Amino acid sequence: MRTRINIRIGGALLALALGAAAPARAVDAPAAPAPEPVEPSTVFTSYGEINYNRPSRPSEAQIDLRRFVLGFQHRFDERTKVVTELEVEHAVSSASDQGEVEIEQAFVEHQFGAVWAGRAGLFLIPAGLLNEHHEPTAYYGVERNFVETAIIPSTWREGGIEAVGAFASGLTLQAGLCTTMDLNKWDATSDEGRLSPLGSIHQELQLARAHDLAGFLALDWRGVPGLQLGGSVFAGDSTQGQPATGRAVIVLWDVRARWTPGRLDLSALYTRGTISGTAAFNTPLAADPANTTLVPAAFDGWYVQAAYRVWSRGDLGLSPFARWEEFDTGRSYAALGPGLTTPAALPVQAVATAGLSLDVTAGVVVKADAQWFREDHTQNRIDLGLGWSF
Amino acid sequence: MLAPAAALVAPAPSFAVDYLTAEQAQAAMFPEADRFEARELALDAGQRAALQARLGVPVKERWPVRVARRGDRTLGVAVVDEVLGKFERITFAVGVGADGAIRQIEILSYRESHGHEVRLPAWRKQFVGKTAAAPLRVGEDIANVSGATLSCHHVTDGVRRIVAVLEQAGGAGGLR
Repeated sequence: MRTRINIRIGGALLALALGAAAPARAVDAPAAPAPEPVEPSTVFTSYGEINYNRPSRPSEAQIDLRRFVLGFQHRFDERTKVVTELEVEHAVSSASDQGEVEIEQAFVEHQFGAVWAGRAGLFLIPAGLLNEHHEPTAYYGVERNFVETAIIPSTWREGGIEAVGAFASGLTLQAGLCTTMDLNKWDATSDEGRLSPLGSIHQELQLARAHDLAGFLALDWRGVPGLQLGGSVFAGDSTQGQPATGRAVIVLWDVRARWTPGRLDLSALYTRGTISGTAAFNTPLAADPANTTLVPAAFDGWYVQAAYRVWSRGDLGLSPFARWEEFDTGRSYAALGPGLTTPAALPVQAVATAGLSLDVTAGVVVKADAQWFREDHTQNRIDLGLGWSF
Repeated sequence: MLAPAAALVAPAPSFAVDYLTAEQAQAAMFPEADRFEARELALDAGQRAALQARLGVPVKERWPVRVARRGDRTLGVAVVDEVLGKFERITFAVGVGADGAIRQIEILSYRESHGHEVRLPAWRKQFVGKTAAAPLRVGEDIANVSGATLSCHHVTDGVRRIVAVLEQAGGAGGLR
């Protein structure tokens, strides 16, 4: 069947060319195509969080401008853009203040074809559910969950190259080569390593040692609307060529699932990290009693979370949620030699969180929750938060 | 009103982000059509205001549409529109049958780094068969794509708007 098409340009979405054989139809078609609407080449982005925490000891109540992030994306051409994010934590950063200024993302992305894109620069590792989608409007609860801060050190970024493949089946593949941790940064005299083993030794592309590089792979399947199933693995040696101790390969992997049938939002995640060769690294540290935090051989965590959009009208929406998480930043320690005390495994910590998210509009959220800490009730707290993202 | 088909050439997608042309989309949505006629729907101020109040999204005054016909019969209407994802434009097409039910939606171009799953047949199939009476809302009858919330919401809002505009115009039959 021969399809005869007669098209009159009413909008600016198509450019048509009339063959020379057909007379120009002044009424039906303009002589030249209307220009494509030009979208801004540079967009600013931002997100921010102001959080109130009130633990059981009232003297420890605190309000903090936890994060202020300003970023931009600039599109060079149809296929190429640069994505950047600059963050200030705790409002004021100076040598005598507790804030920090840091670059969270700075990468160039180029779309090679319908499936593959490449990134080069400082980018987010595709681990967990939170790391790549960490804006306050993207997660439930005033504070980010413990599993994805203590075990997966969100916001975790490394420098390198990454390939992103978006397949017709709904599978997204991300793979890359990038910088990794520097185990030599481990401070055995502080408790930072007990709070977040990898968070205490990541380099964040700050004069990062690159003797060792890591590889990572993430797969996420979204073939069924409303369902995401995925996982990732990251592995690299972290000794950075320092002679003393031999290899210490860090491997961090996770599996994650998210299902949003109708108004429900359910998610679950398990993550585990291991470091090899920690006995050799810990042995010289173990003799000194000032070294209270040795490097764990394994650390892990998991959570389950449910939220339900109980009410919505236009952009307003109210979603109560609940989460149970367990994590252990020192699940096991490598046995030290005779005469030294191998550290005992740290107790598993459990936290229950229940609260509400009020979406004021797309991009502004007010949150409230209560958190119960099984191991240390003095940490129990009520939190309030204001967040924005655009 | 004929012009040689060969003389009317839509540009081949010059970039990877353009997946379908409007012509390819309308042909896919109305394969039995033997011609498409360009029309323009114009809403008056009262209709626009009423639609904007009901939908909660801006509604433009003029809507270029393509009416699919086979012989004397009107099969339906194809409408091309665009919305923003998070920062980038998403161009899409909606095909609505003469009965007011959505035949299909097609994503013509998509540039965001996340959320390409809105292009998947599985996500788009959720719209098939729905009319202006359906909620057409993410979190109700349309599932979200994790990590692409804004793209899903905006495309869904755009589809809901088109269906409402067509219903206001009296459906495809009102476009004679």
